[in-house]
Amino acid sequence: MIDWLAFVQVLVAALVGAAVVVSLYALGLRMLAVAGRTPYVPPAEFEEAITPFSPEKSRRKVKRVVKARKKNPYSPAVKRLALVAAYILFVLSGAVVLYGIYLMVPYFHAG
Amino acid sequence: MDLTLIVALVIALALFFDFTNGFHDTANAMATPIATGALRPRTAVALAAMLNLVGAFLSTEVAQTISGGLIRGEGSHVSITPPLVLAGLVGAITWNLVTWLLGIPSSSSHALFGGLIGATIVGTWQLGSIDYGVLLGKIALPALLSPLVAGLVAFCATRLAYSITRRSDGLPDGRSGFRYAQIFSSSLVALSHGTNDAQKTMGVITLLLISADLQPNGQPGPQWWVILMCALAIATGTYAGGWRIIRTLGRGLTEVKPAQGFASETATAATILASSHLGFALSTTQVASGSVIGSGLGRRGGQVRWGMAGRIALGWLFTLPVAAVVGGATALIARLGTAGLIIDLVIAVVVIVVVFRINARRRVTSEHLKVLAEAEVAHTAALTISINRQPKHPHDHEGAPQLKQGAGQPPILPAGLPSRPPGDPERQANREPESGPNEEAAREPASEPQPARERGPGRQNGEQR
Repeated sequence: MIDWLAFVQVLVAALVGAAVVVSLYALGLRMLAVAGRTPYVPPAEFEEAITPFSPEKSRRKVKRVVKARKKNPYSPAVKRLALVAAYILFVLSGAVVLYGIYLMVPYFHAG
Repeated sequence: MDLTLIVALVIALALFFDFTNGFHDTANAMATPIATGALRPRTAVALAAMLNLVGAFLSTEVAQTISGGLIRGEGSHVSITPPLVLAGLVGAITWNLVTWLLGIPSSSSHALFGGLIGATIVGTWQLGSIDYGVLLGKIALPALLSPLVAGLVAFCATRLAYSITRRSDGLPDGRSGFRYAQIFSSSLVALSHGTNDAQKTMGVITLLLISADLQPNGQPGPQWWVILMCALAIATGTYAGGWRIIRTLGRGLTEVKPAQGFASETATAATILASSHLGFALSTTQVASGSVIGSGLGRRGGQVRWGMAGRIALGWLFTLPVAAVVGGATALIARLGTAGLIIDLVIAVVVIVVVFRINARRRVTSEHLKVLAEAEVAHTAALTISINRQPKHPHDHEGAPQLKQGAGQPPILPAGLPSRPPGDPERQANREPESGPNEEAAREPASEPQPARERGPGRQNGEQR
């Protein structure tokens, strides 16, 4: 009556799906760092965010990021390659998410 | 009472349930991006509302499962009647509103199923009118396992996200870049919520139409106007934003960082998608809560407030039975005939009005998220440390600290926030994961009974410092 196999399937599918999306995006961020373009995304305006935040902190962080970019030890060729890789990884990550939407809509695959 | 009138009333009640479902579940998708500052609260709920609206049109599979699954038909006729659907809805709405007031993310679907089950059992006086195999295999067991599955997935995803971006040289790791990703992952959760939850109401309305012989023959799925109205109701509800529950999920369970937020949202979306693709209808709420806990465990130095988690789990445990009891009681009254139905409707309206009045008295809006943040940063300015604890309403303290800000009143701080040394802005603005146990204890002030000396009236009013 209870379909244990289906539960295992759900677990494995979810694990693989989430791991792939998260890994791709995280690798993309890593590659951006290698390319000397470590991103800094401040949280949405401080007043409304749960995360306590201040403009000074934002400025400090940006400074650190800019400094880190200068210290980048890689050669320009490697940096360019890493940047391309980063964008490819982001696109792949997005593609997996789109596949998720595809799965969600029976119209696309139920036939 | 005229059957058409009853049907119209029940549809109105069903749409109201859909509305409560919307604001009860906004948190599932949007609590974490709001918590990390990936999206502003208003933007987040608007996005979620839009995606819920779109999602409602994308699929009707779940609706058909409800209108033709759980409650056994006798021959071609289902054993449920419009008054019983009404009773079930009253049960579900009651539970949804009460848990929302308490800030507990409980499953709207379980409330709905519970209400309908209770009403059906009382209405038919037959325990056999419910398919217990379906109940156990499709509702009870997934409810038990889905938070665990989601938690495990979120744990692994969080670990991955952190280990891949970890740098040994101490330079900035760029993890704030996960904020962009969060917008997409939370949108995916909102969309999948729309494809699932709006349909539950569609299923109920269709069930109602079938039982009243108003559904066109040979059409198992919901009619277009049912889909449209349900989609609008859930989107409106989502936009209203259940700030109490957002607060619980966003900061009551664990402190969420962008990488964790992304990991937990992806885990939620992946679990829901995988399961609905394989034919399980999981509770989005339970999956989302499990994910948040999993991501809290996955980060080094991340701490999960198990007291809060336990309270939420307790809420889940009671969801189905309580909704069933309320639904059953309502069905019992409905057996009186027209008078009973009117009594039921009056009860429903009274419950709704009372809950909204209590809510209005202790309002929690997106502004309260702001007050909380400001309160913590403003702490070194030595503003009044106070608790907003009024013994008359102890339950209102479920979740994150209850903070109210009256006109001209400085933000009230939760009691016991540790005094940080003045002139240490780094520390106050930057609440790093390595924060000590002292700070952790401070962030869960509401759950512990406070010493009586802090409860004095003078300390409740920020102006009397």
